[in-house]
Amino acid sequence: MRITPLFRGRGAHAARAIAVGTVAALATTACIGGGGSSDSGRVEIRWFVGMGAGTDAPTIPAQEAVVEEFNASQDEIELVLEVVDADQAPNILSTQIATGDAPDIVGPMGIRGRSSFPGAWLDLTPHIEENDYDLSDFDQALVDFYRIEEEGQIGLPFAVFPSFMYVNLDLFDEAGLPYPPQEYGAPYIDADGNEKPWDIATMTELAKRLTVDADGNDANSPDFDPGNIVQFGFGNLHADIRAQSTLFGAGSLVDAEGDAQIPEHWVEAQQWYYDGMWKDHFMPNGPYGESDMLNAGSWFESGNLAMGNTHLWYATCCMGGFEGSWDTAAVPSFNGTTTAKLHADTFSITKDTEHADEAFTVLTHLLGDAAEELTTTYGGMPARISLQDGYFDRVGAASFEGQDINWDTAIEGMSYVDNPPHEGGMPNFLEAEAVLAEYGTRFTQEEGLDIPAELEALRADLQAVFDAA
Amino acid sequence: MTAQTDHSDAALRRRRRNLLLTACTTLGALLLAAVFLMPLGYGAVTALKDKDGVSDPNGSLLPVSALTFEYEGETLDVYAVPMPGGGERELALVEPGRESSTFVDPDAPGEGTIAWEGRWRTLEPVTGLAPQWGNFAEAWETIDFLRLMGWTLMYALTTMLFTVVSSAVVAYGFARFRFPGRGILFGLLMATILLPPAVTLVPKYAVFLQMGWIGTYLPLIVPQLFANAFNVFLLRQYFMTIPKELEEAARIDGAGPIRTFVRVIIPQAFPALTAVSLFHFFYAWNDFFEPLLYLAGNRDIVPIGVGLSYFSGVYNTEPHLILAAAILALALPVAIFLVAQRVFVRGIVVTGVDK
Amino acid sequence: MSDFTQAVLAARRRGGRSGRPASPMQRREARWGYAFISPWIIGFVLFWAVPIAASLVFSTLDFQLTDPDATAFAGGSNWERALSDPDTWSSLAATFRFTVLFLPLSLIVALGLALLLNSKYLKFTGLFRLLFFMPSMIPLVAGILIWQQVLNPQTGWVNELIGLTGADATGSDGIRWLDNPVLVLFAFSFIGLWGIGNSMIVNLAGLQGIPTELYEAAQIDGAGWWRRLRAITLPLLSPILFYNLVIGSVLVLQYFVVPWVLFGASGRPDGASRFLLVHFYQEAFVFGNMGYGAALAWLIFIVVAVLTGLLFGTARYWVHYGTERS
Repeated sequence: MRITPLFRGRGAHAARAIAVGTVAALATTACIGGGGSSDSGRVEIRWFVGMGAGTDAPTIPAQEAVVEEFNASQDEIELVLEVVDADQAPNILSTQIATGDAPDIVGPMGIRGRSSFPGAWLDLTPHIEENDYDLSDFDQALVDFYRIEEEGQIGLPFAVFPSFMYVNLDLFDEAGLPYPPQEYGAPYIDADGNEKPWDIATMTELAKRLTVDADGNDANSPDFDPGNIVQFGFGNLHADIRAQSTLFGAGSLVDAEGDAQIPEHWVEAQQWYYDGMWKDHFMPNGPYGESDMLNAGSWFESGNLAMGNTHLWYATCCMGGFEGSWDTAAVPSFNGTTTAKLHADTFSITKDTEHADEAFTVLTHLLGDAAEELTTTYGGMPARISLQDGYFDRVGAASFEGQDINWDTAIEGMSYVDNPPHEGGMPNFLEAEAVLAEYGTRFTQEEGLDIPAELEALRADLQAVFDAA
Repeated sequence: MTAQTDHSDAALRRRRRNLLLTACTTLGALLLAAVFLMPLGYGAVTALKDKDGVSDPNGSLLPVSALTFEYEGETLDVYAVPMPGGGERELALVEPGRESSTFVDPDAPGEGTIAWEGRWRTLEPVTGLAPQWGNFAEAWETIDFLRLMGWTLMYALTTMLFTVVSSAVVAYGFARFRFPGRGILFGLLMATILLPPAVTLVPKYAVFLQMGWIGTYLPLIVPQLFANAFNVFLLRQYFMTIPKELEEAARIDGAGPIRTFVRVIIPQAFPALTAVSLFHFFYAWNDFFEPLLYLAGNRDIVPIGVGLSYFSGVYNTEPHLILAAAILALALPVAIFLVAQRVFVRGIVVTGVDK
Repeated sequence: MSDFTQAVLAARRRGGRSGRPASPMQRREARWGYAFISPWIIGFVLFWAVPIAASLVFSTLDFQLTDPDATAFAGGSNWERALSDPDTWSSLAATFRFTVLFLPLSLIVALGLALLLNSKYLKFTGLFRLLFFMPSMIPLVAGILIWQQVLNPQTGWVNELIGLTGADATGSDGIRWLDNPVLVLFAFSFIGLWGIGNSMIVNLAGLQGIPTELYEAAQIDGAGWWRRLRAITLPLLSPILFYNLVIGSVLVLQYFVVPWVLFGASGRPDGASRFLLVHFYQEAFVFGNMGYGAALAWLIFIVVAVLTGLLFGTARYWVHYGTERS
């Protein structure tokens, strides 16, 4: 998880002078005149939301309430909430950082958001030491998750989003199939009472039977019409190559020497996904996946997907109004190993903040007193161990009243997290991501690709990007 | 006598020809408009569906819903089921199964369930038109529509007024006066639209930041006081088509340049000024990125373009609500366009009289 | 006569005669000219001069948006990279391919619609004007959402309409508007033509400025529709057509929002949507490399400026201004 800052250490004095001459000069004067402290004599701390959860209309009032409550509770700091459309947030944040108008606190933000702004975050270590901030309520591994070589402790754990299988029970009932197991290690018991290991092969079989065309033929039937599918068996939601492949085991596209690699089991995974879309048709390919029928990408909530693999955030973001009945299931294993990938969110302080101490006060408030309220709003499991108890009761009461959803699956999945993490850093991160996105487009849109050859080409492209770092 | 018949014959033929041409033109325009507006039709229909209706793979084009029936606390869809003994019955689907399902008769739920062999997916649902007018209410409430409208209208109208007045003045300067450096200055004006706007975004933000304008409407409104290259160019082109004799006549009457501009040029250019006003109004009405950037995410004062984005999250969108809100937001511009059209028509009359 | 290049030439001529003092009349005219354009000059100095100069300076810097402190002087390396980057050339080619298709199409459609709406044979003109302008009022977010679904190969209305003729257009082996490098240009064109309202209204405003006596006279002379179009409408509308041509070229060469919202920087399909500005935007904002981005932007500026300059150069052969009639 090493992030190489792109232009660190190259800054000659002359160059810096020029930079100051253009933007920075404007920016510094602006900071004196512009932001800083508000009329009331309080220090203004700007909280930027848009790099993760928190931009959907229903989540905004709760965040406003947290701000209001905080401002009423003390008279040193004026906390200001800035909610920005998620698609535009990176542009706006980079414009603000470049002009010296950086917000003080950014979050909630996943690893991807953080990696998109290498070098922009404040090392919290001195503040943690100075304030004697108690970290014992966090899992040490999660704290270390945000300790980046050369950048330091750039965030503290706020929420975690384990992944699991979302299962549409109605579609299983319709097909007369028993539900997948909710306990890790438990077998799948089919309609005849036979026990099968809950692995990729068993899941594939199920998925094919749960893929149906308009005439009611399933994907195993010789009459099945792949041009007119109305229900799909399995889909990995909002997943790129790294997220998809992690179902077959954790891995990294960067080897120990920092070179590009495609792990052997990821090659297998990619072939399985590709065949699932284009040969066996139990997974939505590009055209199906972008259509209204599958909610233009938010597949599971359309009711036309039997099993969806994704994270806990999907429950609160998208499943609140679901009309059918759904439940959780364990992630199937591959070659005897189970991997349930993990997302984790943090709040970070920007390196350019003028009021690091006050920002740290706000940060600890968001991670502390406000965490219970905010984690419920964003749909993440609190990283604070003392808050995890009763968390799912609160979520259930808030969003899933009257539904009996087995959240233990989510908690149990935390024992199978991916290490190295699938969203981890890569040299030249943003450009490497662009290369992956380009591969992903061909993968989901084009039929008849030779996947091993495609992956070899991908590795070469990645290597070129890594070399340019 | 014969001459008169010939004459009325010719008149009749001409009238018939005109009528035919009118019918064909109007019909053609209607067809064209139908094709042209087809996507808008999709939008309107989607705005009237519920979320399930949008993703229903057997969904009809129209916002129809299956007729439903409440049975033992569950809402069931009603299908037209062909019965083994012949005939068809409208039954509610209790338990769908691949090859056999159970139904219940909505007219006689007391008689219990009916087992049926066959694939329910091949059945025709019994549907009725069920437009979800509630989408409009939901969209209205979720984003505090009236407040958005108020700010949007303020923003669109002030900037429209500013840009039209300043652009007309500047355009007249470029169109009718000779002065050293005119070519260079006009080139510079054009350069402001030839340079990709995104490249000046960061320094522009820095300028406004220095002025302390971030978080307010000032960066969006004030620059419009100083003309805009698109509008200046268009108005200059239009002014240059106006015959010079009119101005010369005014000048002989002793009118100065300002009077000539106000009394002669402005009335002549009414259609073009209306066009510029309309463009600017709709541009501002739908403006998204700049308000988002300069208003610094201040939800209380954003215009509607930004408000719409609250319906589209990172991982899910609410197409029916976005479209419902977009259609709601369309109402006012449509009204304004209809009013502006009258000005348009008056514009022709004015030019007709003057020429 | 009074177009851009002419004005430049005239200015140069005047410069040559600078020894001769201008007459009081000329000086008075110049003073009024400056007075009229002064709002723009003030605005330019206040809001444009610094950002434009700054962006030019950026192009010589190693300037990462997310880490402004680490900025370093880069000399001409950004420019060298911009010229040697294969993406620059392929995006230039993609932009020209689309320009060649869309620019003539949009000019013709905008003129055609304006002529139709100005026709005395059309009833309910007010309604039709509204109908054809309406898509231009739809917020872009909603518009693109609509088009994405209407053009979906699986469930889109366009393919289903084509399917009504008996052709099998739907599905991954059907007509994939957004995934074929040629078809996608047509998809962009549809979306572009949908927003043609502005050019249409500009043409309409121009048509309404043409004195009706001219047509009456021509009709008495027995000129048919086509001759009236060639001899009266097009020449008198030429300044407006010229505006549409110039602005249309600038906008199509800087075509960005639609491909960006649909495909991001992916260039899908096969680089066909990686236009010049998409390339710039990815470098400058996605990768945050504003130094390199600024060099690209100025390169785009040069391309667009040269083409616009050429258009202004041709203007004297076909653009007729009312002023000349006197």
